[in-house]
Amino acid sequence: MMDISALLDEIKAAPFREIVIATPHCGRVSFADLKPGDSVVGPQGQWKEKPGSHIATLEREHNPKPICALEKGEISLLHTELEGRFVEAGTPLAVLRHKLTREEVQRLILQKALHLFCAPERAKYYFIPEVDKKIRAADAHSVTVRDGMELLIMSRMKREVPLHYTGPDGVIYEIYFKINDNVNAGDPLIGVCPRDQLPVIQDVIMRVQTEWAEQG
Amino acid sequence: MVSRFSAQMCAPARVPTYVSMFGPAIIAFARRPHKGREMQGPWPCREIPLSKDDKQNRAQVELPLDEHRILVANRGEIAMRIMRACRKLGVAFTAVYTAEDAASGHVRFARDNGDGKGLFRVSSYHDANELMAVADIAGCTAVHPGYGFFAEDFRFARRVAKRDRKMIFIGPSWKIIRELGDKINTKRLARSLGVPTVPGSDRPIYDEMEAERIAKSVFEFQEQQGIQRPLVLVKASAGGGGMGIEEVYDPDQFRSVYRRIRSYAMRQFKDEGVLIEQRITDFNHLEVQVVSDRSGRNPVHFGTRNCSIQSTGLQKRIEIAPGFAPETLQYTFNAERVLTDIVDYSLAMARKVGYDNVGTWEWIVTRKGEPFLMEVNTRIQVENGVSACISRVHGKEGVDLIAEQIRIGLGQPLGYTQADIATEGVGIEYRLIAEDPDNNFTPWVGRIERFEWQDAPWLTLLTHVPCDGPYEIPTEFDPNLALAIIWGKDLDEARERGLAFLNSLRLEGRNNAGEPLKSNVGFLRANTGHILHF
Amino acid sequence: MDNNIEKRIQSLRDRLSYLQDIFAGKHGDNANLLHERLETFTERARWGQLDDPHSEMASLEDLFAYVEKRLEECITPMDKVRIVRHPQRICLRDILENVYDNFTEVGGQDEHSLDPSMLIARAVITRRSGKKTYTQSVMVIGQEKGHGAEFRNGGSVKPWGNAKALQYMRVAETEGIPIHTYIFTPGSYPIEDNPGAAQQIARNIYGMAGLRVPVVAVISEGGSGGAEAIGLADKRLMLSHGYYSVISPEGAAAIEGRIKAGMRATPELIEHCAEHLRITAQDNLAFGYIDRIVQEPPLGARPWHFDFFRHLRQEVIRATDEVVISTRRMPLLKGMALSRRRKPDANMEEMFMRWDLSASARERLRDRRQQKFLRLSRHAARDRRPFWTKTASAFWDWLSKPWRTFKYDFYRKHQRHIRAVLEEVDNEWEQLKSRMLAPWRRLTGKADSTAAAQAREELTALSAWSGEGRKSKWNYLSPRYKVDRTITCPNSASYGCLDLWGPDLFAEFAGVCSHCGYHFPMEPEWYVKNVFDAGSVFEFNSEIEAGNPLDFPDFAPRIAEAQKKTGARSGCMTFEARIDDIKMVVAMLMGTFRGGSVGAAEGYKFVEAAQRAAKKRYPFLAYVHGTAGIRIQEGTHGVIQMPRCTVAVRRYIESGGLYMVLYDTNSFAGPLASFLGCSPYQFAVRSSNIGFAGPGVIKETTGMDIPPKYHRSYRALSRGHIQGIWDRRQIRANLKQALLTIGGRNLYYR
Repeated sequence: MMDISALLDEIKAAPFREIVIATPHCGRVSFADLKPGDSVVGPQGQWKEKPGSHIATLEREHNPKPICALEKGEISLLHTELEGRFVEAGTPLAVLRHKLTREEVQRLILQKALHLFCAPERAKYYFIPEVDKKIRAADAHSVTVRDGMELLIMSRMKREVPLHYTGPDGVIYEIYFKINDNVNAGDPLIGVCPRDQLPVIQDVIMRVQTEWAEQG
Repeated sequence: MVSRFSAQMCAPARVPTYVSMFGPAIIAFARRPHKGREMQGPWPCREIPLSKDDKQNRAQVELPLDEHRILVANRGEIAMRIMRACRKLGVAFTAVYTAEDAASGHVRFARDNGDGKGLFRVSSYHDANELMAVADIAGCTAVHPGYGFFAEDFRFARRVAKRDRKMIFIGPSWKIIRELGDKINTKRLARSLGVPTVPGSDRPIYDEMEAERIAKSVFEFQEQQGIQRPLVLVKASAGGGGMGIEEVYDPDQFRSVYRRIRSYAMRQFKDEGVLIEQRITDFNHLEVQVVSDRSGRNPVHFGTRNCSIQSTGLQKRIEIAPGFAPETLQYTFNAERVLTDIVDYSLAMARKVGYDNVGTWEWIVTRKGEPFLMEVNTRIQVENGVSACISRVHGKEGVDLIAEQIRIGLGQPLGYTQADIATEGVGIEYRLIAEDPDNNFTPWVGRIERFEWQDAPWLTLLTHVPCDGPYEIPTEFDPNLALAIIWGKDLDEARERGLAFLNSLRLEGRNNAGEPLKSNVGFLRANTGHILHF
Repeated sequence: MDNNIEKRIQSLRDRLSYLQDIFAGKHGDNANLLHERLETFTERARWGQLDDPHSEMASLEDLFAYVEKRLEECITPMDKVRIVRHPQRICLRDILENVYDNFTEVGGQDEHSLDPSMLIARAVITRRSGKKTYTQSVMVIGQEKGHGAEFRNGGSVKPWGNAKALQYMRVAETEGIPIHTYIFTPGSYPIEDNPGAAQQIARNIYGMAGLRVPVVAVISEGGSGGAEAIGLADKRLMLSHGYYSVISPEGAAAIEGRIKAGMRATPELIEHCAEHLRITAQDNLAFGYIDRIVQEPPLGARPWHFDFFRHLRQEVIRATDEVVISTRRMPLLKGMALSRRRKPDANMEEMFMRWDLSASARERLRDRRQQKFLRLSRHAARDRRPFWTKTASAFWDWLSKPWRTFKYDFYRKHQRHIRAVLEEVDNEWEQLKSRMLAPWRRLTGKADSTAAAQAREELTALSAWSGEGRKSKWNYLSPRYKVDRTITCPNSASYGCLDLWGPDLFAEFAGVCSHCGYHFPMEPEWYVKNVFDAGSVFEFNSEIEAGNPLDFPDFAPRIAEAQKKTGARSGCMTFEARIDDIKMVVAMLMGTFRGGSVGAAEGYKFVEAAQRAAKKRYPFLAYVHGTAGIRIQEGTHGVIQMPRCTVAVRRYIESGGLYMVLYDTNSFAGPLASFLGCSPYQFAVRSSNIGFAGPGVIKETTGMDIPPKYHRSYRALSRGHIQGIWDRRQIRANLKQALLTIGGRNLYYR
């Protein structure tokens, strides 16, 4: 049994995270009307269907694209010197000071409670098509995994290798990787909750719900 | 001296300044004949009607080389070769890299040798939008795609040529890429010129009865040829890259395989068309290196290559120029004849389509010495250097096909004819790769800690791996580490020197688990003995 | 205080608050006067200060009646909207109790019902003829607002409520009893759960277009699709204080004022819209969309207006009688019976007439109903065809009818027989030939080597290749391909699509993301030129133009602008075309013309196209490039297209035709809930959105947030609303395939 209170206290001691907002690709930057100290919000709405606060616009090949905040927070740094300039991919534009949300805390603690299936190699990972379809249609919780089942495709060096899941049977509770992103060897790919562990997981969620105050 | 006129005749405004490795011939030519003569020259100026793109490119053709700037739309070893060629020609360049590649040698090379606009970080080499945006901001006038990525993407070439700020695509014109990029088109073009192709259908078959009839005759055809175990290949005509291909060894099985491929093709490519061909198993893989300037009328070749030593995944590992060595080795067929045939066929096709840059005609040659055209690669290839190392233009060494590609790509005439090209000796190219040949050539991932070799005048080593410090192999790309090109005056000397090189090589590293590096050096060494043997 | 007085005071209080409510602050002095007098009276009555409470009460009531009558004269359309929405307004249960002699609710009971907002009852009417009494059954179907009871959902019927209505209409048809429908709905409840708001309404309309029993509809609150779901009737009566409209005035104001979510239109704008949408009974009578007005007491009927119920009873009986009479064959008797009933003082109670019909009368009833709807609203479209064109085409129709009958009904049938015989003969001949030639063949069969050479030739030499596979170019490219810019695929976040280059996307890719297959909208021309055989498209009726039949303020220039922008005269293009020589008639709703909204002109052209397809025995394809619904600025001229076009489609299908619908981009509301949704073969192009109401409207009417992608074609497919999803690049091939398989060899006849 893990000590949720201790974990929570640990997180409470340092409840902030610095988020660097960088350009996803090249282009010319123009900033929205913001200044350091302003608060911004992440995606809103019941299904997160409304994008977060507009931070800047990046225009490439006559196609202006908004760059929006992905999390709630306060702008601590804004590279306004880049206004109107062409920047390379991955150039930092702003830094957000973000207080962990209940969900994030939950994720952090769940990472300790769930069975983590980790990346064996640095590579890009995808779910096999059948699983991917299921997840897109419903959500990850709908996928049951068994030991030895073919679950992911590991793509690296232009080779795609099927990856078999190892660990206890259960449902996929969390997905830790994003499409097209490289995952380092040893980083978790998915968090699996064995069926008999579900009450424990529910307990974690309850505890976080009650003990993590989300304000301002 | 035929080909060189057209580019200028169409663009007579100013004299381009040539930079060439083959000094006298071209400089002499640069003193251009007076105007009256070109208009009435014996070669009709507009035999190939100029498309709108060509007219656009013409404007840039007028630029002298030193006013051009080339976007090097690639990474690693080839990016470095392109940048070196640019420097040789006095052309400015702009390189790109991604965050994963920050430690690659090509980034360092660009930083050390480029100007203020010499290097940009992009999100991906696969994103044409990034490349266009960088090209615009750096003021590039041309784009060199290298090999892989966008090299054979006619849409990319078309975009380069047709966008509002037009540039030159260093490669054949997009229409040629499109035409020769299509398997069926290429096969039909070949057949229309009497160039031999793999026996079978040359158009998509939609009808089951017809498919069965063709399959039956392909089986019978092979039996007549005395082939012991005839095989038929069924492939989705819209497919590519090994997708939707299946072998049939039993005529009775054909129908079920055909139906499977057909429905796969329908699902995958929305087209039910299927190709039915003979499956050839016992063959050598040969190539013809073709070079032609923008006139497209007088292609020359730089000889043949043999690329038969491959990994189990059919990736080339050793390439040798020339394609056979009839004077040293015994063949069951007239190898000399085969080599001249495939060269002639290749040039005939190049002439027919008005091929206007470098390209490679890929052939398979059966044990009986029958050549069949496989496909045309409308790009510079990895192994171009092995042809260059045995080539002599006007008797001079130091041929650089990439520099030639850029020069003619930017609109300069070739400046020499086939008669000026000769070959000498044998070249071997080894591809050094961190992989495990014993385990299905699985790539090895980790950090290279030591990479040394014994330099020699007959050796050219091309690599993007820095030798002065450890290097983490990025996982996003081909696992190629280096190319070693070895020249010898004959096959024996080349083999000897090749082994000497491989023996001098020190390639060490460790992965995350602390295991030592695996490489294909052993595989290369083991195969050096029987190169050019059929 | 007298108990009776107290009750009457309460009733006056109700009348006063009703009056205040429906005028929404207007006529305040009158209300104040009544209020003052009522309070004084109450005060005095409480302290017993009245000499003759009953006569004073009566005079107070007279005063109320007087004021109400005076205010009645200055009632505005918006006041009527407030009247029908008022909880004191009569509702269907009041009618069942007061108009009919007895009834049994059959579609559930109060809140314990599949959908409490749809009330269904078997009711009886007793009539006397001489000494005999006759009891006649009817099926009563209508929305129940229940005086504001929460569970009735304000008469906003859910899809399954409408399905229930259709089920009982079918029951009535089986039993051969008339149907009385009572329309008390602000509109249907816009949810897509199976059977789906739009698709169910479409089924209802399609069903009603073919009912073989008399149907009489009474409209109190006729809100668009919800009203049409039970409104396609032989006789349509309308209460004098009701409204019948394409959209609520608030909805219209929101659209007119381009109001964004969360904002409210000003009361002035709403009032303005209510006035110009021409939603009152008088307006609709003038347009011909209702047959008669049932006069209500001043300021509208309330449950205590017993005279009104008697009057309504007379009217529905009269209407039912008239419908029955109209199916009679003898013109003279018919005229007499009708005129007797049309006398204003006729007492229907004493004029008995049987309401069941003979088999042939049922057919006539149905045909009359269909013809009636087909005739409606033609005047509301601008027909710019020159007089002689119309005459010539009518003459040609008349002339070619016998020829068509000969060709399709006689020749085709026998042609098949002849062909069958010929095939048989040919077969026999081949058999005979091969037997006779066998010895000769055996002699010449040695020429094997030439066969081998031939086979070799076939496998190694260039083969002939013609046919469609070779050219893969589009005949039409979106003009957007000329712009050098990139476009971001909306799915890029979830599928990692790279930006697409416009010239690739809008030309070679046919507007489809090459990575994830997302479909960007294309122009209607793209389909016209790329789906059908080149040069086979022949447009007809292009001279029928969209206009502004209601003279809606500032609308004419907007229509003119749309015409200029698109080069089309209306939002519906009708043409004949071929796919690989399969001929068909196509009606295309163009999303580029005012959102593809359907008004009188579009409906007119759609009906004409369906009739043309029937005449020529061609398959009929409705290609919905996009439709935002009924054109609200045309009011009921637009709404009436729902039943009209559905009738046309039903007639076409029943004559043996193949009617297919293909949706693209966004298809919503009225058209979907009628002539599109009723097709048994509906397909959608990927990335199309299909539904009854858009997310904004759903939020507005139900207060629910709906998930993103709620209306996506894949959802519609899962809900069973459509039959399949096609890739845009495959439309041509899929259409051909569908025509060949669904239409069979003969394509037209079932």
